[in-house]
Amino acid sequence: MAYLSMGESHRRITEFLNRFSDAVSYQNGVSFKSLFALSSNSHFLLSLADALSLFNDANRLINQNENFSQFADIIVPLFRSLQHYKQTNFVEAYNAFEKTANAFVQEFRNWESAWALEALFVIVYEIRVLAEKADRQLASNGKSPEKLKGAGSLLMKVFGILAGKGAKRVGALYVTCQLFKIYFKLGTVHLCRSVIRSIETARIFDFEEFPKRDKVTYMYYTGRLEVFNENFPSADYKLSYALKHCNPQHEANIRMILKYLIPVKLSIGILPNHGLLEKYNLLEYGNIVQALKRGDPRLLRCALQDHEDWFLRSGVYLVLEKIELQVYQRLVKKIYIIQKQRDPARAHQVKLEVIVKALKWLDIDMDVDEVECIMAILIYKNLVKGYFAHKSKVAVLSKQDPFPKLNGKPVNS
Amino acid sequence: MERERIQREKLRDLAVFERLNGNPAKSSQALAIKKFCRTISIKDVQASDMRPLNVLEDTLNYLLGFVDSKEHPFEVVHDFIFDRTRSIRQDLTMQNIVNKKAIYMYEGMVKFHVISHHKLWCSMGDPNIASMHHLNMEQLTKTLSSLFNLYEANRNSNDVHENEAEFHSLYVLLNLGSHSKPMGEPLSLWFSHVSTPILKSKEMCFARRIVRSFRLGNYINFFRTVAADASYLQYCIMEPYINEVRSLALSYINFGGYKLHPYPLFNLSKHLMIEETDLESLCHSCGLEIYTDEFGNKLLHTKQTSFIHPKGGFKKYSFLGLQDYDR
Repeated sequence: MAYLSMGESHRRITEFLNRFSDAVSYQNGVSFKSLFALSSNSHFLLSLADALSLFNDANRLINQNENFSQFADIIVPLFRSLQHYKQTNFVEAYNAFEKTANAFVQEFRNWESAWALEALFVIVYEIRVLAEKADRQLASNGKSPEKLKGAGSLLMKVFGILAGKGAKRVGALYVTCQLFKIYFKLGTVHLCRSVIRSIETARIFDFEEFPKRDKVTYMYYTGRLEVFNENFPSADYKLSYALKHCNPQHEANIRMILKYLIPVKLSIGILPNHGLLEKYNLLEYGNIVQALKRGDPRLLRCALQDHEDWFLRSGVYLVLEKIELQVYQRLVKKIYIIQKQRDPARAHQVKLEVIVKALKWLDIDMDVDEVECIMAILIYKNLVKGYFAHKSKVAVLSKQDPFPKLNGKPVNS
Repeated sequence: MERERIQREKLRDLAVFERLNGNPAKSSQALAIKKFCRTISIKDVQASDMRPLNVLEDTLNYLLGFVDSKEHPFEVVHDFIFDRTRSIRQDLTMQNIVNKKAIYMYEGMVKFHVISHHKLWCSMGDPNIASMHHLNMEQLTKTLSSLFNLYEANRNSNDVHENEAEFHSLYVLLNLGSHSKPMGEPLSLWFSHVSTPILKSKEMCFARRIVRSFRLGNYINFFRTVAADASYLQYCIMEPYINEVRSLALSYINFGGYKLHPYPLFNLSKHLMIEETDLESLCHSCGLEIYTDEFGNKLLHTKQTSFIHPKGGFKKYSFLGLQDYDR
């Protein structure tokens, strides 16, 4: 590291303070926001951190000038946070930054226009990222991680301030999305409910007003919530919206959306083509799609096992398990088609023993009682039209449309 | 503790287990156990009020010894242990005791709540007991949550605590039933945070298989799996949902079965692992008529239009092969 003089340190600190007060005076949002972006590791802020450590008495500089002292509540903890951040004391960095954020929010309320919205976004983002780093550090030291939870409360407060009339309103969706990221990370997704209600049902916002990027992120997260709750039509709508409006060049984001949209589509009977899976590197779904096409329960089970970890971590495993019913439907349909070719008059009668045998060829050990059970389920859920005759151990299919298609609706409960 | 005991003796506020020779106004240092105090605040507490860890451990073991007591109705036993263990948890929290010993204690307390979940459920007709059952469920989920935090706090590299897998499986099984959302977090999201060694454990694989059968409606696989692999605690958690699966099976068979081939209850009772007489009773609760043929065989005619899911829940029925669990 090059030798840093007291004079140079003094200069750097004063430069920051001047930038700060100028930004406020001229309402320069772009310049302002760069002052808070700790985790961006900008040369400007990192070199400022060095200066602060050397100079040691920045508070005096702040207090001796009215232009700066009026923002002392914001700047003093910000300086502290920056120093801690440079020394990777993330817990202390977070605690200090939280103070800055609270003080900033107080000032923000007083500024009439929405000029400082971008800076607010940076602060909101940094709060989340710092809290995550702090929690990781706490956990690795055997302590209880609670900073992210605190960050959530703070962001809720910010959301409350933006939820009202006026130009600041359009920032609410960005804050919402940051909140979603926090709640998803903490697993406390039930807390999303109240913000979602504010955005969607309360008359405060017009959804179309929000920036496109935020709308896509919002639909992605709320779509994922619908997947967790297995509301497939709603999940389909939201994730499809996100897909449609996502910038086609953001391939990583498209992949994230598809990761959840594909299992949803599968659950309503719509299969992606293999090219799509290849393009976005989602080949984990490859054999699941094949299993559905072929009516092969063994292939489904293998696919679930092969990528078990990936499916579980993504939260789609339970959804994919349920697809087994559609796979059985396909299997029975194939048997029916083969029987139709051999003896059309009797094709609609499928002996349960035949299904047992077909499954045995697929290395699936199911006795006739379990096959009867599966047929009973398929009939009840309208995947098969017909009935099963217990005494003669036969499934009798309806002569008309015995295998109704899902047509975009999920399997009946 | 002296202070509290003397005060409660005066107020005759002594549980049956705390009475010296049955005297409702007299206890002893050995018998009296600290009650749970809802409104306690840190500044009111003195160091002498806090029981040290070894005292808490002994107290807990003493309390849990009453679970199998036949002297009093279970509700009385439950009420006593429920309150006094809550007080123990309060002492542990206030002293911030979070070591391995705390894990064993919390495991013991979760076990108590699980057994209560099962035993109280037998008397759900009584509204008092139904409310006890509900409150017990609350404490069950709270204590289980705290237990999971303790496992995390005591984590050494990738080690898994000896009972960790079973207690995780209990959480999974709490999510059975169409109206369950005990912890607020969707099961899919919860799974995504669980470590791989636990996910692949025998106990978790059991729980996952059960959840899968349940969600698919595969009653054959469900009952076979329960009969083959359920531990006592797992069975206790699942019991309220078992009859839900049975009634689901009845609705499937009633809907899709051929009208001219009535289903013999004898066969059905084997599939659903229930005594034939209990099955008949269950059918009646679901609005289904049972017919007897000329040989005395009981049959379920299908396509009955009167099927309903019983509103008030179910009576307690047998589980063939797991009669040991119904002590």
